[in-house]
Amino acid sequence: MERTLRSYLWPALGYLIVLEAMLAAACLFWPSFRDNVESLKAMAPMASLRQMVDALAQGGVEAYVNGQHFFKGCNTLGTAAAVLFAMNAVAGEANRGTMELWLSRPFTRRRLLLERYVAGALALTVPIFLSSLTVPWLLSFVDERMDIAGLMLCSAHQSLFLLALYSATFLLSTLSSRPVWIAMAMLFFTTLEFSLYLVKTVTHWSIFRLTDIEALIWIMQHRALDWTRCLPMVATSVVLLVAAERSFARRVV
Amino acid sequence: MTETSNPSPDGLPCGPAPGAPPLQRARPDSVAERREPPSGSDLRARGIRVRGLTRRFGSRVALHPIELDVEPGTVTGLLGPNGSGKSTLLRCLVGLVRADAGRALVDGVALAGDGVAVRRRVSYSPGEIALYGEMRGRAHLEWLLRGRGKRAVERAVSVAREIELPLRQRVRTYSHGMKRQLLFAAAIAPRLPVRILDEPTEGLDPSKRGLVLDMLRADVDGGSAILLSSHHLGEVDRVCDRLVFLDRGHKLADESAADVARRASRVVQMELEREGDPRALAAALDGLAGAAVASEGTRVTARLADDDPRPFLAAAFARTDLPRPLAVRFGELSLAELYRELYGVEAC
Repeated sequence: MERTLRSYLWPALGYLIVLEAMLAAACLFWPSFRDNVESLKAMAPMASLRQMVDALAQGGVEAYVNGQHFFKGCNTLGTAAAVLFAMNAVAGEANRGTMELWLSRPFTRRRLLLERYVAGALALTVPIFLSSLTVPWLLSFVDERMDIAGLMLCSAHQSLFLLALYSATFLLSTLSSRPVWIAMAMLFFTTLEFSLYLVKTVTHWSIFRLTDIEALIWIMQHRALDWTRCLPMVATSVVLLVAAERSFARRVV
Repeated sequence: MTETSNPSPDGLPCGPAPGAPPLQRARPDSVAERREPPSGSDLRARGIRVRGLTRRFGSRVALHPIELDVEPGTVTGLLGPNGSGKSTLLRCLVGLVRADAGRALVDGVALAGDGVAVRRRVSYSPGEIALYGEMRGRAHLEWLLRGRGKRAVERAVSVAREIELPLRQRVRTYSHGMKRQLLFAAAIAPRLPVRILDEPTEGLDPSKRGLVLDMLRADVDGGSAILLSSHHLGEVDRVCDRLVFLDRGHKLADESAADVARRASRVVQMELEREGDPRALAAALDGLAGAAVASEGTRVTARLADDDPRPFLAAAFARTDLPRPLAVRFGELSLAELYRELYGVEAC
């Protein structure tokens, strides 16, 4: 487990640094956004984007930070990280020919798989919480404040969403030997879903509805997780993990 | 072919009958001098027992029902051409490939589930060399031996030093042979009763190969059971007590030293001068005293009907009109010849 965790350390650190840099830029940009919201709305090319800018302006700094950090930063960078961390879990071993070596040690397949899953999941979610913890400090530069409890709840919500994507990629990794194909398939799927989100008539078909600004504002207002959204995400992750475990148990070296 | 019929407590027939010759420690020089496997009721459940192990990949049968016994204190060699099922059998035994049917007991533990109970008692070295190039040699050994204890790592480091493997270098800088040595060091280090090694000397230079074979021999002398696969007849000739020949998933032969000696006792070989006509000689001798005679190059080989060569030799020497042989050999059969006899192809 130790080595597995260590192998995710550098990618997770890189992911955290980029996430933090995006967050810092967004926080420092807040006064400018607040003062120029009408101009920004006018510049938005799509109705859905104009509505988003409206929602951010009406929700104040909390909505703005949530939109920037979770909806934009975590959904783009986090999705890429989820795919990158999971795609090599098993398919990477098969691809480089080390699967036989990996499995020949005196451990059950379930244990080896869960070690990989947990290490990748931590690498994916811990940076979200860590970067969220710095929000109050970053906002202090622009004379704003934000409640840490709400941020942690939003981080948990966002983590559950990304874990579902991570689990889907993980399942594909147990089924395939080609990590690049898995990455392409998942990135195509998430890009398609994000495109659907932006089209008003089909936006309800998009998985990004689960973690959009509306969902995050609800969490901040109620100071609680929205279980109508969280439960499906948890259930999806569990089902996909069980499927991955079954698939891996049957997999031929 | 050798069949064992001594039933074990769990109903698996295993091991030779009680009263077989005791284990000898001196290393034999040739196949014919090798010892018979040791026996004894205390060892019955030890080693490897395979009964009817079968594996299919789609419509292709990779392993037809296989029966195999590997006794403690012996090295059993699996021989066969590429695609004969050697690696599949070894992978089945450590649970890396699930068998479709049949049973296996490894050190008294039944192969079940993903085989983790077996892998706890077995060290396994895969045939495919694919290592984590970014790791250093020592770290890789530690990774390979995770779950085997610190002493196993210390022993592996000691073995690596003995075979002059640079453990500080990253594995990506290793040659093919060095990678093989790393796998071997990890496979030989843990104190385990059974070792399953897929081509452990492939890619090694002759001196390293000799070292590795000596270590294997010393290990079985300590009581381990070793099952190894190889394409290299020289090494199995040197180290194995028993030879199992596979071809397209079938076990063609399971030869002990006595079996090989018996097979050899029915072979007479004559070496002719270059000017001699081996084909004519073979044609003239064919059928004498019931022998089947064939020629190859300057050599004529007669396979006799029984163990007594005298009727054939008397009849052959009576034919003074035939070319004079330079040398006549009887009772010797190299593994290369055994291989050729079984598969009809030249071994490497």
